Amino acid sequence: MIIGIDVGGTHADGVLLEGARLVAKHKVAVDQEHLSESIISLLGALIPKDRRQLERVHLSSTLATNAIVTGSLDPIGMLIQAGPGINPEFLANNGPTWFLDGAIDHRGHIIRDPDPKLIDEAIAAMLQAGIDSVGIVTKFSHRNSIHERYIADRLGSRFSHICMGHQISGLPNFPRRVYTTWLNASLTARFAQFKKAIEQGLAHLGVDCPCHILKADGGTIPFARAIEFPCESVHSGPSASVMGCLALAGQPGDAILLDIGGTTTDISLLVDGTPLLEPYGINIAGRPTLIRALNTVSVGLGGDSTVAFAEKEFRIGPKRSGPPMAQGGTTPTPTDAMVVLGLLAVGSAERAAAAMETLCPGKPPADTARHLLTVFSERIRLEVAAMIDSVFSRPVYTVSALLQRRRISPERLIVIGGPAAALRQNLENCFNLPCLVPADYEVANAIGAARTQLTAQATLYADTADGRVSIPEISCLEDISNRFGMAEAESKLEQVICGIASDMGMTDRPTIDFLERLEMNVIRGFETSGKILNLKAQIRPGLAAIKGEQP
Amino acid sequence: MTSFMPQALKRTALILFPAFDWCISPTHPEREERLLYTRDQLIEEGLEDVDNIVFLNPELASHADIDRVHLCAPSSQKLLTESHLISAGATLRVARAVMDKEADNAFAIVRPPGHHAMQTVFGDRGFCIVNIEAIMIEYIRRHYGVRKIAIVDTDCHHGDGTQDIYWNDPDTLFISLHQDGRTLFPGTGFVRETGGPAADGYTINLPLPPNTGEDGFDMVMERVVMPILDEFKPELIINSAGQDNHYTDPITNMNFTAQGYARLNQRLNPDICVLEGGYSIEGALPYTNLGIILAMAGMDYSHVKEPDYDQARFRQPEEMSRYIAGVCDKALEVFANRGKAKEAALQKKVVSERKSIFYDTTGFNVDEVRRYHLCPDCPGYTEVTASSPRAEIHAYTVPFNACPTCQRTARDLFTAARPLPQTITALQDRVADIYETK
Repeated sequence: MIIGIDVGGTHADGVLLEGARLVAKHKVAVDQEHLSESIISLLGALIPKDRRQLERVHLSSTLATNAIVTGSLDPIGMLIQAGPGINPEFLANNGPTWFLDGAIDHRGHIIRDPDPKLIDEAIAAMLQAGIDSVGIVTKFSHRNSIHERYIADRLGSRFSHICMGHQISGLPNFPRRVYTTWLNASLTARFAQFKKAIEQGLAHLGVDCPCHILKADGGTIPFARAIEFPCESVHSGPSASVMGCLALAGQPGDAILLDIGGTTTDISLLVDGTPLLEPYGINIAGRPTLIRALNTVSVGLGGDSTVAFAEKEFRIGPKRSGPPMAQGGTTPTPTDAMVVLGLLAVGSAERAAAAMETLCPGKPPADTARHLLTVFSERIRLEVAAMIDSVFSRPVYTVSALLQRRRISPERLIVIGGPAAALRQNLENCFNLPCLVPADYEVANAIGAARTQLTAQATLYADTADGRVSIPEISCLEDISNRFGMAEAESKLEQVICGIASDMGMTDRPTIDFLERLEMNVIRGFETSGKILNLKAQIRPGLAAIKGEQP
Repeated sequence: MTSFMPQALKRTALILFPAFDWCISPTHPEREERLLYTRDQLIEEGLEDVDNIVFLNPELASHADIDRVHLCAPSSQKLLTESHLISAGATLRVARAVMDKEADNAFAIVRPPGHHAMQTVFGDRGFCIVNIEAIMIEYIRRHYGVRKIAIVDTDCHHGDGTQDIYWNDPDTLFISLHQDGRTLFPGTGFVRETGGPAADGYTINLPLPPNTGEDGFDMVMERVVMPILDEFKPELIINSAGQDNHYTDPITNMNFTAQGYARLNQRLNPDICVLEGGYSIEGALPYTNLGIILAMAGMDYSHVKEPDYDQARFRQPEEMSRYIAGVCDKALEVFANRGKAKEAALQKKVVSERKSIFYDTTGFNVDEVRRYHLCPDCPGYTEVTASSPRAEIHAYTVPFNACPTCQRTARDLFTAARPLPQTITALQDRVADIYETK
């Protein structure tokens, strides 16, 4: 049995699942200041009588997100080596930053070693400022991590946490690597406290099964790994919701997923039955990062959004000003329209009709309500179309990729969230697609958290002309022969991912997808001097197989 | 609000399409690997996240877009691969971005290049089959009604293809800065090449001596290019942004730098840049391309320096500066005398020019004759005959700015022309946007 917990802004939902079967569900109010206590109380209500039956706890937590939103991050120092390129000054807007003077080029060649004196000066300044946690990032460290590791070695044991850019992601994009490393270092101490509190709580409840943390990419990682990469626990809410939809209504093919809440609608896409990922990572607190994440778009459009009618047009959202009028609020909302049309039974039907009257005086409230909901659905449809366009416009670099590009063509809508059932027909008409509102959709997020499996990603860059291979995620920098080829590269990367998965406690051999495979001859002076191989592979986000069931 | 990413002052659209799966031949300089390190640098810099920089994908140009500019034998369909349609299509996409005000300016970092492709095309020349700038310009004229356009070609090789296509067009100012033709392919681009009878003085060549560096390019920009542009007043400025003037380029002999290229573009302020040559794929291209992009976007490029950059190394001797100053003076004279040759030519009504075009990639010669039919009201139509060892072209071409009389005359002549075996008989009418063969 698995417990899945999804912590939201005001409430936390939890479910106990046996395979795919929902055994129990429970909801508690959440005090963000005392998050672990709320979680423990929810766990207490869900734990099966026979505690040995509980295999795992999966937790989608708002800890990291809240720490960022409230600005309560640990003070850290960033050591940055930029080398030639864009003026790196902007990176210092982030917080205490020291720039070092070495450089590594695009191929991972060392241009210049960093001056140890500058590093020592930075160390002294950080110690003086009482900084105990440090992030180290060099440009092109995914190609060659040697300078990051050299700098870390020089820092030695004088700081409690040292976080290096290359370990967080093997993807390119230096500013994103800087911000991700900064975020990770800033969350480390706080996350360690949280882990301790949860583990104590679990012990108190007599549970000793592993606890996994949900990530933004629709996968999980065990607590033990999350402690090293706490940034991965950021923004897991949308990923719980997507995985919930997949668990409750997943089918092969392309689909649109909508999670319609009180103030926002989250949109995500399934391509061939698999949730679509961001190319690099999500933006957190105004900073682009390399935190692997599902591609979700949040629109300020929900059941309780403020509605106004001006110049013959409804304006919905993006703000919410209190509850719907049917429930005692003062501004009309889409929820009021649903009440008027008998699609939703909450609050007072009279006050809902009054809301429609406020919007379009003298018109039959049902007409106004129908019109409003059509506009609501149409707005969502436009946002979905824009999202599909932007996915189609992602850059490609080869002739064959350009010619083979395929536009996502959704075959169905899967909708969850409070107003989901009430809006089903309306959305179906607007999108002209079948619209599915799964049963138990109110606990979809917790179910999503429970059913999700481990994910991992790693990248490999081999340069046989230089005789070196780099797998940054595991700090691997090894010599290779000039005969190192694609088959070898693939199997090496596969082994690395299997290793990461087994370290995280995965017992079955994972299915590994290769997302990128680039093989290029290096020509110098009309002669082939070697090959460059660049690969990216992952364990794709998906539902864990259920024992005894055919996948 | 604190901004965590730098912001471009100008909205700049980029197409970065390295075509990793296309090459002329595996060890040819125009090979798959050419833009690998440039891509790696631009992506690592985080340009995709810079506010106001937009990355676009290329589209495929249509054969009609090609036939609007070129006379292909046997046909554009037979000569072009999808890769060529994509690199040409990329220029059309960036042109739309600028013309539709999606962006303030744009840069197509694409391959294969195009500036050695002439109006008649029998195959690959100087790594080019079709002239992607010219295809873009005629597309812009067709769809946006723009008339006066300036092309500044900063590739190290003379832009002989572009010069050939706009040779007789006084609405297209063509300025080429390049290594002296006596020392480099294609061996043309002398100051005395000044344009056809209807457009004399609208082709400006600035052949620079080997080893010209930042000082020399600065001087040419300051003394010639900018003043001429100020006077010509183009509606659009296009930079054929070849990057093989770089001091590390393996097939040329110049001393230009990333800082120099960035400064040149800052000064030129082009609406659209199109990548041409540049074969120092590791030591130059990642830095020169980044420098150009930052300059176009109005961003700080002072940190874009090659790992071994040392400005002092490239100080230019006095003597070279004096020589370049002389080239500048002669070029200014050409522009000052523009349009004067047309009067004399009008007396003759028809002016013939003959030239031999060498196709270096496969090694054959084309013999071409153009008969310019001059007109007091427009640049006039042209009759082109060209023969390669395998095919011939006999065409009447009507420029976009032709008068109705010339347009009609060309049509009548085409109708009357007798089709010949192994010969493409064509009418290319850019006014009506028609390309017909028989």
